[in-house]
Amino acid sequence: MAFANPNITADAVDAQEFMELSRKYRITGVPKTIVNDTIEILGGLPEEDFIDAALQRGATE
Amino acid sequence: MALLSDADRVTLTQHLAPIAKKVDLLLFTQTFGATESGLIARQVVDEVASLHEKISVVEKNFVLDTEDKTKYGIDKAPALVVLADGQDTRMRMFGANTGYEFVSLVEAVLLAGTGNLELMPSSLEAIAAVDKPMHIQVFSTPT
Repeated sequence: MAFANPNITADAVDAQEFMELSRKYRITGVPKTIVNDTIEILGGLPEEDFIDAALQRGATE
Repeated sequence: MALLSDADRVTLTQHLAPIAKKVDLLLFTQTFGATESGLIARQVVDEVASLHEKISVVEKNFVLDTEDKTKYGIDKAPALVVLADGQDTRMRMFGANTGYEFVSLVEAVLLAGTGNLELMPSSLEAIAAVDKPMHIQVFSTPT
């Protein structure tokens, strides 16, 4: 997503290396995705579902 | 000691062969107060860079290189910034990139080096519509 849009930055974060961040975002299982500090996405999702969740869109028709 | 087996090197070299753009991996580490992961991160990116002539590692000091730290928004180390032909891809990796994260690193390098976004047209359309800053953080573990 980051590569496709200059408004987006994407970080891959090692949850074990950065424990303070893991505590901040309550990372109890991985993968867990945080978008703009507010949206939480648990687990790995299919492409369409992930984008819907990240962009907080309604179900794709 | 090499991290990759000979067989893995052959496979990865073939996988990365389509790279046509220059890929710079800016690696931010620190000398004083450094963690072991910083040393491992350096080993890992060096191995990846050895797989294609267009991949280079650029070492940055997390403490001293303040201008680049600010430019790329780096607030923790070890950190990796992926550039394609000198341009920021906005892909960052924080940690040593071992285990499953190694795959993510390889795929990020491939994307930067080819520009081939293998996403569905509907996904690309949705992503293109994002007109405000979006910061995505994906937490994982190496194993």
